[in-house]
Amino acid sequence: MLQDLINALSLGSIYLLFALGMSLVWGTIGILNFAHGAIFMFAAFASYVIVEQVRLPMLALIVIGALVGAALSVAVQVLAFQPILQRAKDLRSGEMQILIGGIGVAAIPLAVAEEETGSNPFGFSASSYATKTYALLGFRITNTQILVVAAALLIAVAVIAWLRMSRSGLALRSLGVDPETASLMGVNRRVLGLGSMAVAGALAGFAGVMLTYHLGAITPDSGDTLLIKAFAAVILGGVGSMAGVVVGSYVLALAETIVLTQTSGLWVDAVSFGVIFAVLLFKSEGLFGRKEVRRT
Amino acid sequence: MGGPRRASLRRGVPAALAVAGVLILAACGGGGTADDGAAANGGAGGLPSEITVMAIKDETGAVAFTGLSTLKGIDLAVEQINNEKFLGDTKLVVENRDPAGKAQTAASMVTAAIQDQKYAAILGPVASDQAAAASPIAERGKMPIVYTQSGSEGVVIGEYTFRATPPMTSYYPVISDYIKSKNIKSLGIVYNTSLPTLKEVAEKVLPSIGEQVGYEVTASVAVQMTTQDFSAPISQVLKTKPDAVALLLVGGQNPTGMRQLRQAGFDGPVLGNTAAGAGNLKPAGEDGAGMAWPTDFHPDQPGESSRKFVELYKAKYGEEPLNYAAEGYDSVWWLARAVKEAGGASRDAIKKGLDAVAAQGFDGAMGKITFEGRDMRLTGTVVEWNGTEEVLAGSAS
Repeated sequence: MLQDLINALSLGSIYLLFALGMSLVWGTIGILNFAHGAIFMFAAFASYVIVEQVRLPMLALIVIGALVGAALSVAVQVLAFQPILQRAKDLRSGEMQILIGGIGVAAIPLAVAEEETGSNPFGFSASSYATKTYALLGFRITNTQILVVAAALLIAVAVIAWLRMSRSGLALRSLGVDPETASLMGVNRRVLGLGSMAVAGALAGFAGVMLTYHLGAITPDSGDTLLIKAFAAVILGGVGSMAGVVVGSYVLALAETIVLTQTSGLWVDAVSFGVIFAVLLFKSEGLFGRKEVRRT
Repeated sequence: MGGPRRASLRRGVPAALAVAGVLILAACGGGGTADDGAAANGGAGGLPSEITVMAIKDETGAVAFTGLSTLKGIDLAVEQINNEKFLGDTKLVVENRDPAGKAQTAASMVTAAIQDQKYAAILGPVASDQAAAASPIAERGKMPIVYTQSGSEGVVIGEYTFRATPPMTSYYPVISDYIKSKNIKSLGIVYNTSLPTLKEVAEKVLPSIGEQVGYEVTASVAVQMTTQDFSAPISQVLKTKPDAVALLLVGGQNPTGMRQLRQAGFDGPVLGNTAAGAGNLKPAGEDGAGMAWPTDFHPDQPGESSRKFVELYKAKYGEEPLNYAAEGYDSVWWLARAVKEAGGASRDAIKKGLDAVAAQGFDGAMGKITFEGRDMRLTGTVVEWNGTEEVLAGSAS
């Protein structure tokens, strides 16, 4: 039982690390970035390419991953999303076009990584960091698992605190509530948009490196798979709520672990997504989302 | 691929709709007939100066590692056939097309090949979804198509569809001797249920082997294509304290599965499948050591024809061949033998020739090859990952 809880905690932390950046830009500047998975993967891939040449510790790879992720994310914003929004006839159609644009942009880093790896899995076995396993009181946990859980929770708390307490965080949140009014109040949408994309990209890069260490290897299409889980976690928690993403990630992981331990693994996706469907039926804004008021 | 292949978000309903469209076009467009090929290639009465074959193999995309390796084997066979003048003065030409992991693209390529009379046959795609889309078109257009990998149902469906890779389920029992040598009395299974081949190995083949060699399946846990963290399913299986664990996963899942299995404290033998090959276990490092799986080919396997292939391959590419290369090599030799047997290069003649060669069997890169209908059969070989490379664990008696 304790081992199952540790497994769920570890899995939830994976989802959380991945979903944080995605939720940040979706809930504030309104961009549902379908290139987030590709940025996550490519940051890990870039770190892999470097560590194959130079033996580096985990910290160095994390920094490389975060920098690559941030740079890639800003490039996507400047070269794809901003031009799309500028040319769109209204915000709603612009957001729809960004969804498709994100999918298109994601194909480029994916193709590069597939070409270079031959679509084979890649990992950081050349890194100087070594995973160790601890056996305590009948359960087992690795140092990487501990790091993943701690990093996910600490970063989530830091992002929540930033959004709630800092001036730039509050300005960013105001964009999520009413971008027009926020602009009239002096909030610079362009700069904050770039800043939030950079932070989201850095988080994706960080997640990519940490998860590659944790899983031992990822493949070029690993980001696509996690994108669906992160999407579910954000919807479950409530779009725009970072605390909701934390809860959504762990609820999703716990649901999956319970289903796996109690039934056949065949039903993991069906039951866990069924739970989300049920939540949306009865609380459409998600567990922690803002309730929308429609006036006629 | 045969079963094991990676998941992709780019599959599904849109692909199915596109394929349906191509099927309709093929039907309405009056795809080529057997006689078309004959006209282009000199007719059934004699061999033309050149026989052109289209090879639809992934050079990019999720299964590129399979397609690229297969193409190396194909190129080697073509070079050998032409240099040895196996078909006399007739030159065999293979034109490559890359479907890039998309079933609708593969289907379009098959349609194009049928319409273009210069193509006498097709070397079909390696992914099952592509092959399943291509087969009905090939059958309708009476175009002989020889697949490698593509191990699922719905691929070899009629007179014109052939497969040069034995289904994994047919040779998996060769691992029985390995199981006996490890004195395995209980087995826990973690398997990817999204792939029919792995599902059948987990749910039918391994329990059946257990009845014969005397082990009990203590737990069987399914995972999905989307599963990336195997901690929970591995914990479930290890609760039953098995002597051995079978990890039947797709390519990229294997290093993670092995790593997490070892981290969970299991140091016994592990049974896998061919998707763990092609260096996929390398990222797992030492944790990958101890996984064994049956395969249709290994460079160190005994047999004169296999040894000759390995020598030729090493001389051309400076590396050891993967099983995909051996399959590609044998598929071309099957085709060349078919042309010679039929004495003609029309599509219909090649179809008849492929059947005739299949009825006799032949010695190829993969060893002594037999057929069940139009589907290849082999005894297989067991290989083991020792942490750095695949080594022969035992071969068929």
